[in-house]
Amino acid sequence: MWATARRMASTTRSASSAALTFELVGKCSTTRARASILTLPHGQVNLPIFMPVATQASLKGLTPEQLEATGCRLCLNNTYHLGLKPGQEVLDAVGGAHKFQGWNHNLLTDSGGPMLLTPEHSMSLQNSIGSDIMMQLDDVLVTTHPDKARMREAMERSVRWLDRCIAAHKYPERQNLFCIIQGGLDLEMRRECCREMVARDTPGIAIGGLSGGEAKDDFCKVVATCTEQLPELKPRYVMGIGYPEDLVVSVALGADMFDCVWPTRTARFGNAITKHGVLNMKRELYAADFGPIEEGCGCQCCRPVGQEGSLGITRAFIHHNAAKETVAAHLLTLHNVWYQLDLMRQAREAIIADQFPAFVKKFFVGLYPDGQNYPSWAVNALRGVGIELLGR
Amino acid sequence: MTVDTEPQEPESTAMRFEVVSSALKEGTAAAARVGRLALPGRRPIDTPNFIAVTSRGTLPHVTPDNISKHLQVSGAYFSLEDFVEKSQQNLSRPPPIFSAPTSTNHPTPLYSFTGTPSHITTILAARRLPAVPSPIGNSTKSISVFTNTGFQNLSTTDYLSAASTLEPDITIPLADLTNNSPPGTSPTSKRALRMAERTDEWIADWFSSPLSTSTSTFAPVLPIPYPIQWEYLSRLAEDYIPSSQLSGLAVHDPDIIPDLATHQPSLLSLPLLSLSNPSNPHLILRHIAHGTDLFALPLINAVSDAGLALNFTFPAPPSSGSPPLPLAVDLSLPSFSTSVTPLSKSCTCYACKSHHKSYIHHLLQAREMLGWTLLQIHNHATMSAFFGGIQRSIKDATFEDERLSFSRAYDSEMPAGVGERPRMRGYQYKSQGGEENAGKKKNKPAWQKELAVEDDKVEVPETDGGRELQEKGVGEVVKGSGR
Ligand SMILES: [Zn+2]
Ligand SMILES: [Zn+2]
Repeated sequence: MWATARRMASTTRSASSAALTFELVGKCSTTRARASILTLPHGQVNLPIFMPVATQASLKGLTPEQLEATGCRLCLNNTYHLGLKPGQEVLDAVGGAHKFQGWNHNLLTDSGGPMLLTPEHSMSLQNSIGSDIMMQLDDVLVTTHPDKARMREAMERSVRWLDRCIAAHKYPERQNLFCIIQGGLDLEMRRECCREMVARDTPGIAIGGLSGGEAKDDFCKVVATCTEQLPELKPRYVMGIGYPEDLVVSVALGADMFDCVWPTRTARFGNAITKHGVLNMKRELYAADFGPIEEGCGCQCCRPVGQEGSLGITRAFIHHNAAKETVAAHLLTLHNVWYQLDLMRQAREAIIADQFPAFVKKFFVGLYPDGQNYPSWAVNALRGVGIELLGR
Repeated sequence: MTVDTEPQEPESTAMRFEVVSSALKEGTAAAARVGRLALPGRRPIDTPNFIAVTSRGTLPHVTPDNISKHLQVSGAYFSLEDFVEKSQQNLSRPPPIFSAPTSTNHPTPLYSFTGTPSHITTILAARRLPAVPSPIGNSTKSISVFTNTGFQNLSTTDYLSAASTLEPDITIPLADLTNNSPPGTSPTSKRALRMAERTDEWIADWFSSPLSTSTSTFAPVLPIPYPIQWEYLSRLAEDYIPSSQLSGLAVHDPDIIPDLATHQPSLLSLPLLSLSNPSNPHLILRHIAHGTDLFALPLINAVSDAGLALNFTFPAPPSSGSPPLPLAVDLSLPSFSTSVTPLSKSCTCYACKSHHKSYIHHLLQAREMLGWTLLQIHNHATMSAFFGGIQRSIKDATFEDERLSFSRAYDSEMPAGVGERPRMRGYQYKSQGGEENAGKKKNKPAWQKELAVEDDKVEVPETDGGRELQEKGVGEVVKGSGR
């Protein structure tokens, strides 16, 4: 304990901007994985982190109190959706999205996308929302877009739009504006974009344009290329990533923050995320399965009966009500959000203890128990940062 | 063994019901009364009161943690038909609920299967409340029930065995009800007579069978005139009260209670549970005035689904000749879009403490499930406060006066609610002729719109492959939100 604390103390370095402090508390000695503390206007969050998406200011049936109980301290709202409903006037009248939805922890909003047309409009709306982290308006193309000239144009436009966003942002002292690295799958263009964006010194940096159907190998190359270029003492957010393998590999590549609608969306289809993969609770197999959704899970649904707050929910009950009563979706959402947050908590602990490579191997064995059939993209990406999955 | 519920007499293994206070005056037949119903191991229920009505074992939109934390509800109505559908993939599989393992926190299969908190008194009946009418009649030894996979027969012996296995605190034995006559019409007297005869036979069978002593029986009182079922009711009074086998009555139409008071007064020593599905609080008050102790209230679930927040108190606020107040606030109305006040000024529920009308209006507009959850919490809390006020007024002997003031202070019916309801499921209505269109209309927007599409597409396998199939969908969503 003492030794760990000393080592941590000696490696802790931090950087602050007007509305954010980033404190690096641990680094993996093999991979690029980092553990850090991000202090935002609505409190502290531990990185790496998964951020659930409350698209319309509500996380799929969970009360803010239930979301808080999963340990979540930073979630997303979608600017475009809030701009439509309840609309900017209501947000201004109510005093921002925190008050509107009764959420006293941190919020991150996306830019609203090209539907909002101008960087100024996006900033104005995100200022009304009052999110702790705002995203710049960027020009997004699918990474697989064939036209290189168009890709360059989008990248350069995104840089220009960042300047306009910075100029239009009304509250830099209480809201953080993150830039977004673009450039498709062209690594040279990504490097160039990193240089331009980093020069503008935003409090945090996102890697955008991914998760649009590119090959996973390409995805990893882009993330690795960007993290290599980015300043160490700023949070790095890979947008739209949510599959557990993607999270673990991206952490190994040096990314800190992730979000995705998949874990909560898939809960509504009756799917439970577990360390052994995704289980569809609607299958007849689970009709009389009285075990927890996932053995060993610490969420309220699964934690052993008798433990504080345990609900004693069984797979059989979820099966009984999946796609029938909304309560089944709420319970699976509780479980799935817990799973994603807990995965990142475990990764963080492993990084701080400098056991991250062992954590990664154990994680992949859980998903592929025969130790074979590992996805080649993951094998390759992890090999690039010093973890050999196939090595015995 | 640790029991973390409220203190209760640990030795008692039987249901106890005592009338604490009654408005009964010399010479009156039936009257409002205050009582306490206590089942071993459960939180006692002060009466008059209501119990929540579950659907497929759950209070709609409210997870068990929120029930424990945010509701005062002490009882819940369950229907067996919600648990016994035949699996289409595995026709021979018995209903899983019968083999659910029990524990200290979930002391019977009904608790463990549904995750119902153990302080809640469980009441089991055969059919949902309200029940979907069956086109198939009942037979001499069975009734027709409606499951998620269609109609099936439930025999008296199957029901008895289900109740023995599930061990609800209270069981309502089968009644021969006409479930295919249009609402508002009464059965022919010939049919009514057969209803009484069959129910009488079934009750005799029920009490002559060895049934787990841990369940208390509330015998059905049929929604037919007293003279047609007098033989059945007198048997209840004369045979099963003395034998201590009968613990209460499940009354389908509480307007019969004055007749019971006249002809079978001993039956009124039992707790009276109403299954009449009253559509407004005025009817509830009228039935309380007859002496009803408990109500199963599907009304609350329906009101929440309609986007309404109940907004009445008992006693009613003093009125000075002003027009009657609405019984509920329709949160779908655009006028609430910037309203930062709670659903009700006097309410102390979680929804009112933590949120305001503007947010709930937004959730309904956006069809976010949380809207219905918060309304359920508020509406159950409002109903709890309403019954609390009723109990106090009966004790203070002001009930009849306050009831009159209430009837003047409020509108006679609930507003309809302009909002779109949650998606209706197969077990909630029957697709048949005109009703099919009604069902479809109700379902216009889906709370899981994506789900409907996904369901048609594929049963998601457990491996990566399943997620790859979904990935496209995720990509689309992500693109739509400006990544
Ligand atoms: Zn769990
Ligand atoms: Zn309330």
